[in-house]
Amino acid sequence: MEKVYILGGAQTDFERNWFKEGKNVIALLKEVTNSALKNVNLTYEEIKELNKQNKIAICVGNFAAEYYINQGHLGPLLTEVNEAFYGVPSARYEAACASGSVAIDSAISKIRLGDYDLVLVIGFELMKTVNAKVCGDYLGRAAVYEKEAEGIDFPFPKLFGKLADEYVKKYKLDEKRYQKNLAKISCINYSNAKRNPNAQTRRWFMNEKQANFRGNPSNERIGSMLAISDCSQVTDGAAVVVLASENYIKANKIENKPIIKGYGHRVAPYEFDKKMKESKNNDYILPWTREAVCDAYKRTNLTVDDIDLFETHDCFTSSEYMAISAFGITKPGKEYEAIENGTIDFTGSKPINPSGGLIGCGHPVGASGVRMMLDLYKQIANEAGNYQIKNAKNAMMLNIGGSATTNYVFIVGK
Amino acid sequence: MEIKEITVIGANGALGVGVSAIFASFGDVKVNMISRSMEKSVIAIEKAGNSVKALKVCGNMKPYTYENLEECLKRSDYVIETIVEDLSEKEKIHEKINKYLRKGAISSSVTSGISINTLANCYSEENKKNFMGIHFFNPPYSLPLCELIPADVTDKTVLREMKEYLTEVLFRKVIVVEDKPAFLANRIGFQFINQAMQYAEQYKQNGGIDYIDTILGKFTGRNMSPLETADFVGLDVHKAIVDNIYENTNDYAHETFKLPNYVLDLIEDGRYGVKSGEGLYRNQDEVYDINTEEYRKKVNYKIDFIDKVIEKFKIGEYEEGLESILSDKSAEAEICSRFLIDYVLYSLSTSKNIAENISDCDIAMAEGFNWIPPIALLEFIGEERFKKIAKKYYNTKFIEEVIVKNLKSNYQYEKFLKAKR
Repeated sequence: MEKVYILGGAQTDFERNWFKEGKNVIALLKEVTNSALKNVNLTYEEIKELNKQNKIAICVGNFAAEYYINQGHLGPLLTEVNEAFYGVPSARYEAACASGSVAIDSAISKIRLGDYDLVLVIGFELMKTVNAKVCGDYLGRAAVYEKEAEGIDFPFPKLFGKLADEYVKKYKLDEKRYQKNLAKISCINYSNAKRNPNAQTRRWFMNEKQANFRGNPSNERIGSMLAISDCSQVTDGAAVVVLASENYIKANKIENKPIIKGYGHRVAPYEFDKKMKESKNNDYILPWTREAVCDAYKRTNLTVDDIDLFETHDCFTSSEYMAISAFGITKPGKEYEAIENGTIDFTGSKPINPSGGLIGCGHPVGASGVRMMLDLYKQIANEAGNYQIKNAKNAMMLNIGGSATTNYVFIVGK
Repeated sequence: MEIKEITVIGANGALGVGVSAIFASFGDVKVNMISRSMEKSVIAIEKAGNSVKALKVCGNMKPYTYENLEECLKRSDYVIETIVEDLSEKEKIHEKINKYLRKGAISSSVTSGISINTLANCYSEENKKNFMGIHFFNPPYSLPLCELIPADVTDKTVLREMKEYLTEVLFRKVIVVEDKPAFLANRIGFQFINQAMQYAEQYKQNGGIDYIDTILGKFTGRNMSPLETADFVGLDVHKAIVDNIYENTNDYAHETFKLPNYVLDLIEDGRYGVKSGEGLYRNQDEVYDINTEEYRKKVNYKIDFIDKVIEKFKIGEYEEGLESILSDKSAEAEICSRFLIDYVLYSLSTSKNIAENISDCDIAMAEGFNWIPPIALLEFIGEERFKKIAKKYYNTKFIEEVIVKNLKSNYQYEKFLKAKR
């Protein structure tokens, strides 16, 4: 099988509100594509040339542009960015918040088959066109809508609030301690985001006292024990990674680029209650998430000991809590150890979300998987600037869609 | 530098509230908030909590009045005065601060116009070393610019440590500037705004205020057009700032700081802007007509080049949008590009004179005004092209002096250029 290299990429500044700037999706895609091409030293002329040989493709990740910006049929959108994309095979991939990952997965297959030398993966979402409540309802389509979302305010915070409740029950945790742990997760993400020049919350204030001030008007509860500080943001943004074949790398004398070493992809029962029913006697509360991680370890012959940093899907603090044991950093039910002893801190031995994650960096739904892959690339290529983890050799990402229904894991290294 | 407790004097004003909140939140510092009454201080604390969207930090703030000044000062590592911009009032307070200041503690005045060296004279030789001006922008939570203004006698180590503290702990964007009228950001910003006021008078037959504001709208790299901004700032405040610059500086742009008569008339009538319900504008939809001296409905001017720019920016075609400004032959496009040229030149020349680094003007305008950073704009236009256009208005020698070769901005220009009027 062909090796798959990451040449680089770009993300937009997640602080930006494109609707307020008066700009549309084409502006978003144009800016991120131009920065990504600049980052990998690729010109539109070269793209035309590759396309003549039918060696370049585009995979677009997006969740709900039909709702947010009244735009469907997203695959060909890049033809509006530059005519160099005329004729380039492009399609849209969707798996809710894991849309970016399913686009990456498809790009990897295209390269592994040897059909294409270069694939541009672009994930995006413009979410600030609607208010928070409407936005929550749109996102509800990533759950079993009729049962879990219709007519419910903010369905996802409620589902991940349920996950929190189930966690406390299953592992007989001290609820106060668990909530404190969640607050710390939130703060680590906010604090990491301060080092990331593209993070949405880099100017925002959060500390543990405020994150523990749940129920106050400045930190209202929104789903069971979860409050605003436990949630990721509504974000506008796009991210691009450029993947390449060994062929391309050799022909262009490119050296020392990170590769995607392996992946895991598992789907859990759609409905949250069915997930809980299924995992009743399992050590893991979300066994298919754990399974996706194990698949990635198996496919790469690596273990948790080999991974120097993680980018996880902290759509809520309760999902990052769950990820700690899914990654294998602790046993299930013992996640608090890694939070309390500093293991997952920026300076810890297993840092999670040096970028700030979804809570700190932002969560433009369709872009998040691609943004995570870009951050893995930056860490392994030693290009992460102020949020660089020293000597990072292998990095893992977990991108989930729905209530951990779609689970995608990738390992990047050299 | 370790700061555990501070006192903010004049804590119920807009800046007092904002500054207290920044220290109480990011710094996790105890803040003694002094206002004229307990009631005002209590209200200020809640406002401060809300200003950083974190009411938990209210627990770090305590309400006091001037009767508690002595006890508060004796406990404080840092004292910030943010009272009214009046020299004799400020002097009175700083003399008191000098009297009660704990040994080794630092003190500052928040001012946008009063000389820091003059205020330093309120202090003993020992305390003088720990005194400096500090200029925040309103609201500090969303405008992180912080200008630090050392007096001639300010200790260099204290200044450096304060800069580090503000940057690393409070996440401020700090520039150190000389004790010159209005310092850096306001000098540049108010030059632009006052020149826009002058142009409004000059072009009053064409529509005046809303006409010029349309030409210098959001698409020129700002969240709000300049004359609308003046109404938000308050015309009386605007007057105080430009008068101070006009009287106490004498650079090449001196005459652009002269307040136009119609603005003086508005101020005399108590029409200060948003805070008094009317100023250059009234309600959402009315504007002051300089010609008739009455308010009228705002006009939706048909200016073709602006429509073209917005159409291009909307789809991210920034170069093409810029081209629509710079190569359009209409009188309106000429005014627009003239302002862009003036803005870059005045920013660079002022920065060169009163800041530590020439690139500080970028930090000043991006983080204090949310305007397109001048060096980013220069890079966007392109050095050679910029010089060519500038030659229409300035002599070559001056341009060559100001436009240092290969200036590089740390900012991207795109997000500042709105696809909006």
